[in-house]
Amino acid sequence: MTGAAVRIRAWDLPTRIFHWALAALVVCSFTTGTIGGDWMPWHLRSGYTILALVVFRVAWGVVGSDTARFGRFLRGPRAVVEYARLTLAGRHPAGVGHNPLGGWIVVAMLAALAFQAATGLFSDDEIATQGPLAVKVSNAMVSRMSHLHDIGRWIVAGLALLHVAAIAIYRWAWGVRLAGAMVTGRMEAPAGAPPPRIRSAALAAIVLAAAAAAVYALVEIYPMR
Amino acid sequence: MKNVAIAALALAATALPVVAQSIKPEDQIHLRQSTMALIGYNFGSLAAMAQDKKPFNKEEAQRNADILPMLAALPKPFFGEGTETGGNTKAKPEIWKNLPDFTSKLEKMQHEVGKLPEAVRSGDMAAFKKQVSDTAKACKSCHDDYRAK
Repeated sequence: MTGAAVRIRAWDLPTRIFHWALAALVVCSFTTGTIGGDWMPWHLRSGYTILALVVFRVAWGVVGSDTARFGRFLRGPRAVVEYARLTLAGRHPAGVGHNPLGGWIVVAMLAALAFQAATGLFSDDEIATQGPLAVKVSNAMVSRMSHLHDIGRWIVAGLALLHVAAIAIYRWAWGVRLAGAMVTGRMEAPAGAPPPRIRSAALAAIVLAAAAAAVYALVEIYPMR
Repeated sequence: MKNVAIAALALAATALPVVAQSIKPEDQIHLRQSTMALIGYNFGSLAAMAQDKKPFNKEEAQRNADILPMLAALPKPFFGEGTETGGNTKAKPEIWKNLPDFTSKLEKMQHEVGKLPEAVRSGDMAAFKKQVSDTAKACKSCHDDYRAK
């Protein structure tokens, strides 16, 4: 908190593209799933893409840039409580990348989306649309999965609202522009903070291609066997 | 003879209280689920063709479409008193609290299903797809409110 703040590159390009693509697809999935009918083929495509993105993000959380790594931004309960205490007291500690509280929202959101994608694969709306793996399990299981998929959307919607509300509070209460940082990649950091190591976008493209291939095999090839 | 059969079927479909009282609740639940399963099987086949998930086969589509109006006429009398719970019913209790709305949604489904045979017969793929889509909407509007997941 000492010295002049400097702007440094915190978010790599793959993480930023991932983030905004995911945001758009979550809105798309929620809307198409709720309307149903003719939109269901798009609901499935959107869901498959989200699944591929989640797989990508988990892998990028291990091999990606410093600020994308779970090992770096996931902090223990003590750090989270300390951060929350200081922030609520109006002394928001500056840092590079996810703060100790926000880091856990990343995990919660990825888990909720993985849950939605997984249950969706086994769901059946009992009108005209079936998840690709519904044929592989019993009807009792399909029924349970459809129910979980139906209520799970509210968990995703709740987390998304919490996330947007937090961004708004940082912006309007503390003048921290988190959404802008996710666009430009640059955020204010305390002077002297070491710049995070950024991995190449080419590596991200390879990881994404592998994730997409795995999802394709799961939803298009495996069900036909 | 055919007229007599249609009249009998129509009577069976409209004589809700009489039928409901004479068939025990457990059997009514079984009967409505059985008809819904057959509706689901035949409509599912049409929907798969409309969405290009399986190749369009006019003969099969006509068979599916022709039987659907008859099947759609069947379940209505089997939502009688005392069938709110029991078996593995997924019918929501809201049905019996909003019976006029439930009935109008069921009739909307019957109305849309009634247009399927002609939509297939016309050979017009766009008309066929639209009618399948409109029918699916009628199914969904009722399931959303009155069918538990």
